[in-house]
Formats: sequence, structure tokens, C-alpha cells
Amino acid sequence: MSDFKGLTEAVIKGDIQTAVAETQTALDAGANLQDILDKGLIAAMDQVGEKFSTGQMFVPQMLRSAKTMQECMKLIKPLFQEDELATKGKVVIGTVRQDLHDIGKNLVAMMMEGAGFAITDLGVDVSPKDFTQKAQEVGADIVAMSALLSTTMPAMRETIEALQEAGIRDKVKVMIGGAPVTENFASEIKADSYAPDAGSAVIAAKKLLSIS
Amino acid sequence: MESLEIPTFQPRLRVLNREQALAIHGAALEILEKTGFKMEHPRALKMLADRDCEISDGDWVRMPPHLVEEALKSAPKQISLYDQKGAKAIDLTGENSFYGTGSDATFTRDVETGERRRAVLKDVGNFATLVDGLENIDFAMSMANPEDVPIDDIYVYVFAEMVKNTTKPIVFIADSGRDIAKIHEIASSVVRGEEELQRKPFILNYSEAISPLRFPENVMEKLIFCAQKQIPLCLPSGSNAGGGAPVTLAGAMALGIAENLVGLVVHQLAGKGSPFLFGPNVSALDMRSSVVCYGCPEWSLTQAALADMRDEIYGLPIWAFAGASDSKVVDAQAGAEAMFSIITALLSRANLIHDVGFLEYGSTSSLEMITMANELIAMSRFYVKGIPVNDGTLALEAIERVGRGGPGSIFLMDDHTYDHFMEALFLPKLLDRSRYDAWKDESAMDLYKRCNMETKRILFEHEVAPKADVVLKEIEHILKRT
Repeated sequence: MSDFKGLTEAVIKGDIQTAVAETQTALDAGANLQDILDKGLIAAMDQVGEKFSTGQMFVPQMLRSAKTMQECMKLIKPLFQEDELATKGKVVIGTVRQDLHDIGKNLVAMMMEGAGFAITDLGVDVSPKDFTQKAQEVGADIVAMSALLSTTMPAMRETIEALQEAGIRDKVKVMIGGAPVTENFASEIKADSYAPDAGSAVIAAKKLLSIS
Repeated sequence: MESLEIPTFQPRLRVLNREQALAIHGAALEILEKTGFKMEHPRALKMLADRDCEISDGDWVRMPPHLVEEALKSAPKQISLYDQKGAKAIDLTGENSFYGTGSDATFTRDVETGERRRAVLKDVGNFATLVDGLENIDFAMSMANPEDVPIDDIYVYVFAEMVKNTTKPIVFIADSGRDIAKIHEIASSVVRGEEELQRKPFILNYSEAISPLRFPENVMEKLIFCAQKQIPLCLPSGSNAGGGAPVTLAGAMALGIAENLVGLVVHQLAGKGSPFLFGPNVSALDMRSSVVCYGCPEWSLTQAALADMRDEIYGLPIWAFAGASDSKVVDAQAGAEAMFSIITALLSRANLIHDVGFLEYGSTSSLEMITMANELIAMSRFYVKGIPVNDGTLALEAIERVGRGGPGSIFLMDDHTYDHFMEALFLPKLLDRSRYDAWKDESAMDLYKRCNMETKRILFEHEVAPKADVVLKEIEHILKRT
């Protein structure tokens, strides 16, 4: 079975009940797990991303689609053997030390997850050490940092330095964002990428890992 | 016939009835009593625990309504801000409205090139000078988050720069208890002493808690400092509809007010009778871009509602916004959004109105936008004064003179016109009403261009009263220590 039309439509509509039922139907019919994920859920979220970026969908609708995908994943995930699940990449994300603002960071995390990345969200007030340890622990491809306050921006530089000291700077890509953050600041502290909003964060992440 | 004094009706706006006001207030109290909030400042937490609050999970607080009632009673109903020479400049009471700029924009539109660039300290000085030179802008905020000063002391440098470039009252930002003490030191130096500053404050601190329901340690540190030093303060929390708060405006207001009341209670416990400016910022999160809107009708509506709640319940002067836009340039959208918020803030009797001059949802500042807003405020102030009706304005004698005066008799020539036109009519400076040919001959300039020229003129010609050498030396000394 390769037709996931019902599933993708339900995810795009944010209809959790139907999407979960469609996922169960696909599983019962013996569909390939990676196919359900790639051709069903992620394909749907790609369309959601497209609709969102062209103004045909609003943020709450996009987030409902992401939540719908998460609910479907609850059925699929346990069936994958460990390490068998192919994700777009592993992302460790958080708001930097002494900054307690998380709306923007949460939005980025949700959108990246919807795009097929595996997300480890460390929350707010995350120290350079915690970023580094978690990145090492999960073998992160990307470390994504957020700051709302200009006074907490220096923690981004310190986190990059901590990654350097731990010897994993060349193994991870660093993305930064948040209201006071600029392209110039990103290059000044040698981050790999800067994204002005959640939609561009997904595009930037894919570009960093050379994913189409 | 004896002439009677007829009071002038001044058009004002109400957007809530009493039942709505009480219901939102009741919801705010219920949030504090049933849901509670996270208080991360140990001393503030202890103060609340000592006063009948219930503490759980370490720093989660539930607060009984009587604490709110007590705080509302002890906070002053009137706050006065003075200019830096000690003259009363801003009397925050009743329906008085005052406009000023905003703080911390990352970018600015360069007045020479029009280009959007990162803000620097010199911009802070230019904004303060412009505020000083505009008659309808009553107080200064930094308008910029400069990239060319040490970030740990950014707010100290910014404050010093404002002090050097304006005599008007200043609304300032600080990061924590550390830099606010230095700012307080500079302010004390300007008026030659801490006592004088307490007696005639020219500063007001703007600080933010985090919606929903989180009170970080550094924020409460500043609040307690202000309460003890009697520095007027406001503490909105960013309870924006759909962002830090529920998407429905009533719920967003209830949450924002609840958060404000927490600030007020701690503030009054730390410094009973210290001045507290009430009011959350309840704007809306844009449902496409997720930015907090600065040109939306929601924010104007919630602050009008807050003014109604002030009159019904709180009695404390309130904090508000106007004269800003989400547009990236000073264009038709910027003009429309600025005017919408400016006139409604005035009609709805908001007291201290900030953010004049912001573009791009507060990320970019524009000098021209302030110059334009200055004129829009004048236009709005004219409107809300209403129509005085008396013998002089009914002008029956002038009507008789001109009406019966025969050929060649016109009102324009009449003494009544000469005597009254200056206050009877609104006389714009920048809004263009010239005849077509004159406009064309004057390079066919649009409003943005005229505002740009007027801004440059003010920056070039306006003289800010210089600070005494001893003050400047003390400021340098304090900055060197940072």
C-alpha cells in the first residue's frame, strides 16, 4: 500500500482522530513504517510548511498539524527498532543561559519536528555546558540556540566556545535566532546559520545538512 | 442676556461596561488565588509567604485577594514626573495623556541614507535630542539597543546618553539590581542628590515579567530596588493574545492584569506607598508571522478597556502605547497605524503612552516616524478638546457684521477671525494642504520626505540645555567604573 492520501489530508487539516485512525489502518494493512513516516506524515508536513509560507495557513493551524503528526508518531515510534528510524537529523535546541523566553524557541522546535528532525528540547536558561553535554550524548547534528534579550546574546558565543572546547564544534552545525539576533552577529560569533523566524529555521536546517 | 458658562464636552471613548470590567478583574483575582504564579526571587517569595500566600513546589505561589486590595489602597493614585530641572512635566492622574518613545529597537532607519542598520549609541543621543525638540513628545526612552557599547552595561550607557541629550523625563530599562543602581546614581547626580530625585523624580523604570505567570529573580530585584528608592515603575508582562496569553482578549487582559497585580503587591510590600504605574501590554501575536503586533487594533482596544477598568476599579494611572507600526518603512501603513493608536489612546484616556516612533513591530526605530507622530498627536489633541461653546465662539456679532456688511465684507477680513483663528483651528506644520502648483514647485515632497527634512532641521538647530560640568564628570566617572 503506497497511497497515504487520507492520512496526509487529515494531517494537513489537523484532524487528529482521522489521522490516528488512518495511521492504524496503514499499520494493520502492513504498510512499511518508514513509508508511513516519509510518504504520509512528513509529506503532509511539507505541504503544511508550503501552505504556511505562502500565507494559506495560520500558525495555530500549522501547529495543530504538527500535533496531529506527533499523535500519529506515538503509534509508529514503538514499532521501529532502535536506530532504525531515519530522521532528517538530530537537533538539540534551547533558550540560552539566563534567558527565560520560550515562545519562539518552541515554535522552531515544533516546525523542525514536523519537517522530520529529531528534537531534543532543553527548555530555557540552558547553560553552555548543558548544550554541549546533550549534543555529545545524542550525537547532535545541529545545536539551535534562541535569545530574546540582548543581554543574554553573549551566552551564544560562550556556548559555541564550549562546543569547541569539548572538541565537537566540527561535528555539529550551530543555528541561532531570536529578536535581537542578526546575520552579522551570527557570523561574528561563527555560528553556521541565522534564521529570522521558524519557517526559515527549517529551511536553514535542511540547507546546513544538505537535505532537499 | 447674561452669558452662561457652558462646560465643553470632551469626546471620550468607553469600550467596557461595569459588568465586563468587574468580570475581568474577578478572573484576574481567581488566577492568582487558584492557579498561582512562579516567584523566583527568594526575598519576594518570603514576603508573600509571610503574608498569607500559599507556597508549593518551592516557588509556586497562590495569593489571596485581600493582598491585592491592600496594595491597591496603599499605591498612590497620582504619579508626577519632573523634567531634569525640577519642573513638573508629567502629571499622571485622571484622564491626562502623555506621549513618549520606546526602548531597545535593534535596528534604526538611518536619517541620512534611509537604510535599515544596527543601532549605535549616537542614535540614542539623536532620538533624545529629537524628543527634546518636539512639543508633543513628553518623555524619552532609548529607542535603541546600541551595538557599540559593552553589553553588560548597555543600559547604563544608554541612560547616560539620554541624560546628555534631553531635559525631559526619561523612562529607562535596566537588566538587574546591579545596573539599576548605577543608573540611579547617574539620575541622582543629575538633580544633585538622591533625596531630590525622590522628591521630584524624572525617571520611571520599565520592566517586564514573563507571561504566563513567571517572575524572574532579576526582574523582581529591580522592582524591589525601585520600591525602596521610590522610583516610579511599571511592570507589564507581555501577555499578548495568542503569545504569552490566551488568544481571546478578555483572557489575555485577565492574565496580564493578574501579573501586574503580583508586581503591585510585592512592590507595595517592599515599599509601601511607592509609585506604581499600572497596566499590562496586551497586544496580539500575528497569526501568520508570530510577531507581536505594534499596529494592530487589539492593543488599542485592550488599553482602552484598561482605562475603563482604572476608572471602575483600580484608580491607578496606566501605561499604554501608540504611534508605532508593523510596517518596515514610514509609508501609508505606518501613518495609518500610528494615527489609529494615537487618537484612540487619547480618546480612551490612557496616561503614559510609549512606543512612538517604532516601525517593524518594535524592531526598528525611525526618527521621521516620531516627527510625523508629533503632528498626529497635535491633530488628535485638537480633536479631543471638543467644541467650546460661548459668546466668543458662537460669534453672533461677527455673523452680523459680515452678513450685513455688504459687498467685500468677508470673515477672513473680520477682526473676530484674526483674534481667534490660532486656537479655533488646527494649523498643521507637516501635513500638506498646499495648492497643487506650490506643492509641485517644492519638489513634490511626500510626508516622509518632509518629516525627514524637519527631523534633520531639529537635530541641527535644537539646543538641549547642557548639563553642568560636574554632572558630566560624575557620569564619566560612573561609566568608567562599569
